[in-house]
Amino acid sequence: MAEVTLAGISKTFGQTGAVDNVSLTIRDGEFVVLLGPTGAGKTTTLRLIAGLEAPDAGRITIAGRDVAGAAPATRDVAFVFQQYSLYPHLTVYENLAFPLRSPARRLHDAEIDARVREVAKMVRIDHKLQNRSTRLSGGEMQRVAIGRALVRKPAIYLMDEPLSSLDAKLRAELRLELKRIQNELGATLLYVTHDQVEAMTMADRIGILAEGKLVQIGSPREIYSNPANLHVAARLGQPHINLLPQGLLPGCNAPAGTKTIGARTEHLEISASTPGNAEIDWIEHLGDQNHLHIKVGEHKLVTLADPYLAIQRGDRIDLKLRNPLYFDAGGQRLT
Amino acid sequence: MINSDTTILEKSAKHAATSTPVSLARRIGGLSDRAIAWLFITPTIALLLAINIFPLIWAIRLSFTNYRANRPNAVLENVGLQNYHRVLTDSDIWIAMQTTAHFVFWTILLQTLIGFSLAYLIDRKFRGHAFWTTVILIPMMLSPAVVGNFWRFLYQPQIGLFNYIVSYVTGVPPSSFEMLGSVSLAPWSIIIVDTWMWTPYVMLICLAGLRSIPDYIYEAAEVDRASAWRQFWSITIPMALPFIMLAVLFRGIENFKMFDMVMLLTGGGPGSTTEVASITLKREAFESWRTGRASAFAIILFVAVFGLANIYVKALNKVKQR
Repeated sequence: MAEVTLAGISKTFGQTGAVDNVSLTIRDGEFVVLLGPTGAGKTTTLRLIAGLEAPDAGRITIAGRDVAGAAPATRDVAFVFQQYSLYPHLTVYENLAFPLRSPARRLHDAEIDARVREVAKMVRIDHKLQNRSTRLSGGEMQRVAIGRALVRKPAIYLMDEPLSSLDAKLRAELRLELKRIQNELGATLLYVTHDQVEAMTMADRIGILAEGKLVQIGSPREIYSNPANLHVAARLGQPHINLLPQGLLPGCNAPAGTKTIGARTEHLEISASTPGNAEIDWIEHLGDQNHLHIKVGEHKLVTLADPYLAIQRGDRIDLKLRNPLYFDAGGQRLT
Repeated sequence: MINSDTTILEKSAKHAATSTPVSLARRIGGLSDRAIAWLFITPTIALLLAINIFPLIWAIRLSFTNYRANRPNAVLENVGLQNYHRVLTDSDIWIAMQTTAHFVFWTILLQTLIGFSLAYLIDRKFRGHAFWTTVILIPMMLSPAVVGNFWRFLYQPQIGLFNYIVSYVTGVPPSSFEMLGSVSLAPWSIIIVDTWMWTPYVMLICLAGLRSIPDYIYEAAEVDRASAWRQFWSITIPMALPFIMLAVLFRGIENFKMFDMVMLLTGGGPGSTTEVASITLKREAFESWRTGRASAFAIILFVAVFGLANIYVKALNKVKQR
């Protein structure tokens, strides 16, 4: 495992800029998640590190070594692709052993066998080692793909939305497993996703990408509670952060220049009161919690509420802010 | 449970039927959908029966008789399995079968090797690869009659371009060898023309196979440190194999009944060195006029090709399922 640094990396495809001046250090043994919408440059960043694309500008070092111009094979990285990139005519065992059979490695068969079985157990596919890789379910295929990266001990694991094609239950399971495995191995891991839950639960640090730029990087807590701007604030939080004009609700202590106020559930205080300043427009019952849709004049808000909260559609409430986030006219955060 | 399901289905079907404003069935004078379906496929079935199935059955019948097409009024005698016995013990026919096997083997080998190599090169997606694909496909688009006649000129010892080029490269005088007239070269002259004409076809099928392999498999292999050689043998070949096998099947069936090229180039000669099965068959049927025996031979060929193709398709399916 090793440290990987990107310094001022840029890449354009024809007229479209994919990655724009991104600098980032992934520390040894760290789990970094790049979070951003489709087209933000997440995958391109991974491909640049792996050497599947060449940057137009900037420097990439892996374990202190400048890898400019180095072929993917010599960079000592492992890559998990978004599609199940298994070798379809090989068995699970052969797929896992494939990276170890490289002549550059010169491993003994016994050593390969031990490693394959160990990793198969780790990703819980050891009962299907002799199956053809095309005869597996989606979750199993993706576990094999992850396993094929794990059999090696590369400088860094690069994972491109490996869980995005799985169903929700399996995704939650594999999320935990992946974090556990990374802890066990002490692996350096750069993980790309557009799923905020994956980012929040697995990352040591989250990097927010938007339009090819790295907007903010920090621990999940930091990114969540101290977003640098509106874009970052909007990436995290369920339900989505409410963006309100300054002065709509009482209870804030806005600094000068505040244009927009960002209020998540924890920034809103609800108390039943008539006449109140807001009205319950709609309630979505999710079982363990309720989504309250609230109308304040022309504006609509969504917030979470305890399912036992005795409140009904059409009720008047008093809505107050408590330490919300303040943004200026340009969308930058004010403190 | 099942009953209630069907009633729901029936209800929704009924609903769909009534909600269609003017159903097709009602417009065509009360015919049911089934009747309309038959109406549409009957012409095809009739045609197939008339020009494929009936002649086949008729040929089977004739193969047990002493029928001669040049004496249609002679008394038809049932000879039982005699025709089959004669065909299978005729040494000329066995030689023709060997000649055919020789052609099939070499044309398939050359066409697959060259066709796959060309496909592999074209798949590199260099500048102008679409143009070169079209250029390579030209021989396949020509009529076999044209190809045969032109190659007769190319093989001409005095003025032929082929002989000239060979002499230019090797230094052998051009008129010192005759591609079509020499016993040792004539089979190869046909193999060369068939390969020239049909390699593009094999290339096209192989190209489809290569294009079906997604890029990310290669990228994964690249990151996994597989050399280009290893990628070729452990990804390209296994994943393109079903397509290659399909090309071999098509070319194999086609060349087993190779007739036009042989007829145009050598007519089976010199002597009978290039006399493939279909030429022998034609001689039996339309020169010796032993229609009964020719029919028996044709049936034997048909069963052989059909049987081999079936075994092969089973193998192909096995490869595909992997």
